[in-house]
Amino acid sequence: MKLNRRFFLVALSTLTFLSFTKQSYADVTEIKKKGSIIVGVKDSLYPFGFVDEKTRRLQGYDIDFANEIGKKLGVKVELKAVTSANRIPLLSEENVDLLICTMTITPERAKEINFSYPYFISKQKFIVKKGSVKSLKDLDDKKIGTTKGSTSEKNAAAKLPNAKIISYDDYPQAYLAMQQEKVFAITTDESILAGILSRSIKKKDFELSSFDISKEPYGVGVNKKNPELLKIVNQTLLEMEKNGKANETFTKWFGPKSQVPLVRDFKIVP
Amino acid sequence: MESIFDFSVISDNFLQLLIGRYPHGPLGGLALTLILAFISVILSIFGGLILGLLCISRNKFISLPIIAIVNIVRAMPLLMVIFWMFFILPSITGGKIPENTTVICALSIFTSCYISQIVIAGIASIPRGQTEASISTGLTYWQSMRYIILPQGLRNMIPSFVNQFVSLIKDTSLGYIVGVSEITQVAMQINNRTQIHSAEIFIFLAFIYFIICFIFTSLSRWLEKSLSWKKVI
Repeated sequence: MKLNRRFFLVALSTLTFLSFTKQSYADVTEIKKKGSIIVGVKDSLYPFGFVDEKTRRLQGYDIDFANEIGKKLGVKVELKAVTSANRIPLLSEENVDLLICTMTITPERAKEINFSYPYFISKQKFIVKKGSVKSLKDLDDKKIGTTKGSTSEKNAAAKLPNAKIISYDDYPQAYLAMQQEKVFAITTDESILAGILSRSIKKKDFELSSFDISKEPYGVGVNKKNPELLKIVNQTLLEMEKNGKANETFTKWFGPKSQVPLVRDFKIVP
Repeated sequence: MESIFDFSVISDNFLQLLIGRYPHGPLGGLALTLILAFISVILSIFGGLILGLLCISRNKFISLPIIAIVNIVRAMPLLMVIFWMFFILPSITGGKIPENTTVICALSIFTSCYISQIVIAGIASIPRGQTEASISTGLTYWQSMRYIILPQGLRNMIPSFVNQFVSLIKDTSLGYIVGVSEITQVAMQINNRTQIHSAEIFIFLAFIYFIICFIFTSLSRWLEKSLSWKKVI
């Protein structure tokens, strides 16, 4: 009995201890005082966030935006590699101040954290034989290749109810199946498709479709406790759009000379 | 004929595979894998020994809870233990825990639990008569453990220890789940950037793991041999 009571006391004091330890958080003045902002980015997703071969530093579209926000605040940017599984807990526990890691803005996530205006819009498109497809209707009774368990698979099934969706392990396999005419088209995020296409030997025979079946806006994640920082992030994004910096960054990573040539048909707007 | 494999991708990224983004960023790559493995091995030798001895303690208030914990941890996938540590550790300590510490803690706890079972088996392998004899000479229970049973038992445990540590070394690769950039994660980074050299990168990775584990097992075989002259039973 004595042992039970002691155990209970220990448990109780641990709980009270836990409930008092999580108080401080870094607001904008604190970030400025500290002189650095910690930004969570991806480290293995070309061209959003990746380690450069020569300099062994993190680079990419997301990192350029992080640096721009750091410049606006007048602080040093500390980059921290995050994964899709741990990024939101890291932000809510204040291990990072910002998340710029190809995070799609969704209503569920918006309950946990604040999102900035979208700084990139990823569209789900198709790779098809050149000139064979004009609109989505042309694909409806065809075989479509994609990858297992991806959101692309679900989207394609919803938008093309009569098509036969065939799922492969990864995108290069799906593309190979298409070259062998086992499937009529393949579908996923346009940045991935553009990457496959630009490295392909037969790129002249194929093209990206002009239409898309879903749009995924990527936003900068900010802690709900820090609305002031969100305001500064949004302001920076709008300024970047106005002075052409946003367009410049896009061209740097997705321009015609890049490995993943895309067309920028969005603007950063509130 | 042109070679099927183009290993220039390895030489171009060799430094990144060795030390990750250091010194511009955190240490990573092979160096980090070795550090994670080394610290976890040391910690789990002691952790396992302590847990094993507590499991066979004659005081039920000590042994039963420890046996329960060991069995719970052994029933969990390591990936889950790492993820679980990632959320549990900061709320216990109330501070920010670096990812490397998270992985070391998870690996040490996980491996300690396995090692504890090896320790129990090793101690059981020593005939009971030895304990009885040593106690009858006037040694206490712990003294007979320390001077008679463990020195013999531990030697019998070496092969099982090695087995466990080899899998620990390979398990450091699971650190990717919390964003630790050990060598597998670095290989992923390079593969995702280059995309067309997967075979070369992962063959090289397998080779690296083989080298590490082979050196480790050779060392332990040497250790076993050099200790064998003391062998009584």
